[in-house]
Amino acid sequence: MNLPGKTVCRITALLNRSISKEVIDALREAGVIDLLLIPARSPVMERKRTGWSLFTKGAMSEDPVDILFFIVDKEMEIPLLHLIAEKALLHFPGRGSVFSEEVKLALGHDLCQENRVALPQTETSVHVAERLAGVFCIVQRGNGDHIARIPLESGISVPSIHFGIGKGVRDKMGLLRITIPADKEIIYTLASAYDTDLLMDRMIEVAKLDQPGKGFIYEVPIKRGVINMKVTRGDQHQAASIEQLVAAVDQLKGGAEWRRRSASLGKKGVKKRNYIHHLVDFTLLCDGGTGVDLVKKALSAGAAGATIAHVKHIRPADSPLSALPPVREECNMAVTEDQIDSILSALQGAGAFTDGCHGQVQLRRVLRAFTYFPK
Amino acid sequence: MVASDKTNGRISVGFHHALALLIPYVRDRLAKQVKSVWLIIVYLILFQTLVLRIGVSDATVIALGIGLVVAGLTVFMEGLLLGLMPLGERVGLKLPQKSTLPVVLIFALILGFLATLAEPSIQILQTTGRSVKAWEAPLLYLMLTNHSQALVYAVGVGVGVAVLLGMFRFYRSWSLKPLIYCLVAGLIVFTAWAYRDPNMIHITGLAWDCGAVTTGPVTVPLVLALGIGISRMVGSQESGSMGFGLVTLASLVPVFAVFLLGAFYLPHVPAPMKEIDFFKTENREKIKPLFRTKEELTHYLLLNATPAGQIAFFDGKPEKMTEYLEQLAKDTSLRKTVFAGDPDGFYRWAAFKGTEELRLIAFESPESPKLLGVNTSAPTAEEFNVLDLLKRNLSVALKAIALLTLPLFLVLFLVLREKLQQADEVFLGLFFCILGLGLFSIGIELGLDKLGTQVGNRLPSSFKSIPLHDQKRTILEFDPSLVQRSISPDGQKHAFFYTKDGSRYVAVPYDEKGYDAASREYRFTPTRGPLFGHEWSLWGIGVVLFFAFVLGYGATLAEPALNAMGLTVEELTAGTFRKALLMQAVAVGVGMGVALGIAKLIWHIPLFWLLIPPYGLLLFITRISSEEFVNIGWDSAGVTTGPVTVPLVLAMGLGLGSQVGVTEGFGILATASVCPILTTLALGLLIARKRKAVLTESVQATKEGSPL
Repeated sequence: MNLPGKTVCRITALLNRSISKEVIDALREAGVIDLLLIPARSPVMERKRTGWSLFTKGAMSEDPVDILFFIVDKEMEIPLLHLIAEKALLHFPGRGSVFSEEVKLALGHDLCQENRVALPQTETSVHVAERLAGVFCIVQRGNGDHIARIPLESGISVPSIHFGIGKGVRDKMGLLRITIPADKEIIYTLASAYDTDLLMDRMIEVAKLDQPGKGFIYEVPIKRGVINMKVTRGDQHQAASIEQLVAAVDQLKGGAEWRRRSASLGKKGVKKRNYIHHLVDFTLLCDGGTGVDLVKKALSAGAAGATIAHVKHIRPADSPLSALPPVREECNMAVTEDQIDSILSALQGAGAFTDGCHGQVQLRRVLRAFTYFPK
Repeated sequence: MVASDKTNGRISVGFHHALALLIPYVRDRLAKQVKSVWLIIVYLILFQTLVLRIGVSDATVIALGIGLVVAGLTVFMEGLLLGLMPLGERVGLKLPQKSTLPVVLIFALILGFLATLAEPSIQILQTTGRSVKAWEAPLLYLMLTNHSQALVYAVGVGVGVAVLLGMFRFYRSWSLKPLIYCLVAGLIVFTAWAYRDPNMIHITGLAWDCGAVTTGPVTVPLVLALGIGISRMVGSQESGSMGFGLVTLASLVPVFAVFLLGAFYLPHVPAPMKEIDFFKTENREKIKPLFRTKEELTHYLLLNATPAGQIAFFDGKPEKMTEYLEQLAKDTSLRKTVFAGDPDGFYRWAAFKGTEELRLIAFESPESPKLLGVNTSAPTAEEFNVLDLLKRNLSVALKAIALLTLPLFLVLFLVLREKLQQADEVFLGLFFCILGLGLFSIGIELGLDKLGTQVGNRLPSSFKSIPLHDQKRTILEFDPSLVQRSISPDGQKHAFFYTKDGSRYVAVPYDEKGYDAASREYRFTPTRGPLFGHEWSLWGIGVVLFFAFVLGYGATLAEPALNAMGLTVEELTAGTFRKALLMQAVAVGVGMGVALGIAKLIWHIPLFWLLIPPYGLLLFITRISSEEFVNIGWDSAGVTTGPVTVPLVLAMGLGLGSQVGVTEGFGILATASVCPILTTLALGLLIARKRKAVLTESVQATKEGSPL
């Protein structure tokens, strides 16, 4: 499909909080001045060998992580990926992940364009995989850990969870809307493209996404990235952990195809789901406090629902972007291709790209999505 | 999500559908509240019935009260989340954007001051102060009675300055640690100095307790939301404080204010002295500042002094006193002035506290006032007046919410010129807050307070014998020849007699004064205890300390402000620091602190020793903790001691204190505020260590493996 706007590269890094500071400084030195951060958490399974562990599900512990993201010229994709991988020492599993995707910068305030970076092309010893996909699963607050177990227990990768607020049908119900909680948890899993069938199917089943009001799941394509495969922590009883083996073989084989899972694995196999295709992920970045009103306009122009998350705008003290407030919001909506233009004009009319909101719209393809829809 | 309906308007929800939405919503919220309150309620009831073996009187009223507490808390919490906190966050977000630093600071000062006036926490302390004897602690007495308004204002100024300081800190991105060091060090110096002055030493407990009770269930969520909004806008990314720290300052700075107020009044009050000296004519000038009028002094004398003190007042001449009393009996207007406008007060006093002689003067007949048909029932009997109850509590709730939200609305609409998003939710939320707070207060008054007082009064029976005043018994046709005598090891003779109690024969101590020869009745107050071993046995005291611990623990889990704080922490740390974990850490800390405070009462340990070492240790732990945990830890401790904990702890303190014989029962809240900081910071250190280990592990684990 042909989406309007300039093609740029969006780079996202999920890093343990104690590492993120160095990476932010390195990025700033490289020239990335428009950098956004979402505080999140990454659950990891703890491997304990006590007798009790036979009866309980594996214990999960949670690490605080920072999700850093920014957009940049296509040419700078690989140097920046390598820069982040080196700075964060992603050679060692469990420290985080970084990936890049192709997005269209549809419209943006003058101050909110892509970062101009000039870096030489580099090499890195960190294994950067291709043929990846990212899965977003949005559920009600409180269910996040439950769903996040799935990629951990299947050994797919380490997900991240952050909070957001949902807007949609609920807001049309007047005061009665207080009975439906708006708080959401967004579980993001970066996985090999071969694993997403299984992942999405399991998530739909566990989260009961085929029932009304339970949530939403969608998959976006990722160009390349470094996956955090360290799903368990704790005592190691072999010479090498499974993650190290998998990473080494991936590198040897040049990809993850060798470990492609058969669709019939698992007791029930993968059900035939009615995925929704031809959707577009419409991301609006705007000033803190303005998201709710702008999303309302977008919803009346055709979008079905949105998730708003708080993001921090990271910049040095003397940045040319100081006009932007440090508190911003990222509003994600899944729309169809023909709705894009009307939503863009509705937002323009509401002043999204003026100094009041400093808005920026990014578009990316959605491979498939799933939620409840009435028959 | 593709099934987009292009209807911009409302979806009309049918009645049945609406009910289907409302019922699980209400049920879910109620269940959550019941979960946090059940522990303390069940515990109190079980303890009273099983351990102390006394039935719960007024059980229906108490049950109703508890139900109201649960309902009130549910509604109040919902109101906080819907209305108060979004309002605070909105103002906090927009304020730095649209106004200058001085405006923000002035706003902070005013808000802090109003918050203290709005919430009735200080007034609760004042009721505790009624048992303070003016000759034992003159300065304390003064500050709690004549100058009680000054006390409230001083604390208000303290809180205002604290909020101002907190906001300023966000703008400058200062770490909280240096502020804590300065404040705590200063307070330690003040406490040490106060320890040496006989008057100021009693202020110590009051000062620290005032600091502990500020920031109540309405102020905390509001100040938190404001702080978070402001800190997000002006703070740098590295600050790590995330908007916490205001509550800490609002708990430390007012302590200074009370100390300073005490120091200000110190030259005007006499030193503590014996009761007889206090009432002597020579000292009349010295004690003048303590009472507004001579009549007030007389009133106080009659109600609180022992007969010896009363006689000392009249120059040691009992005739003078008799003369005065005769005057009182004749002069109605004098009676009114002395007994603070209560016409029957004189008679009531004579009936209960007067000797036979006095009764003679008052009633012109030595007979029992009962026979004369005078209304001698104590005015303290609570009439269950529903309307009055509702009116009083709802107006207090309204005052609290209005005083705090009005400045916010004014700032929002006038200074910031912003409109309120989702206004219908906010107003519904505020209405819920008022309703919830009102119901909650009624419930506390009817249920928890009563229960707490009952348990508190009976608690000392665990380690000593206590008189059961509300179970006074009368034996008709008493025969004094039944009285026997016993001798104790030190040679003292004690009289006693046997009475048949059901099917048992119980020995009762005999007191001559209880025998009324005219009516041939013997009136006595039965005693109870000690239940565990002999008097002052370690077992008995251990039971009391354990009770105090679980009381503090359970009451903290029910606190709405701590709940709100826990939710905020969970939100801001993106779920890494769970609310449940934080609440457990704080609750354990408060339990320990309350037990410590009770130990202070029982063994008369000066507060100095119970505060300075923990605060010293805290300073050290603060030094080695990360900024994030320092902010969360200190704040969550400042948040405790709210409307559930304070009445219960004070009731227990009063009950114990009166039995154990202490000058004042202050200080328990102060210890209950120190320990949770210790536990939370300790938890923080553990978590930080685990996280560091995680990272180093990932580096080490690969060193053995193949290079990737």
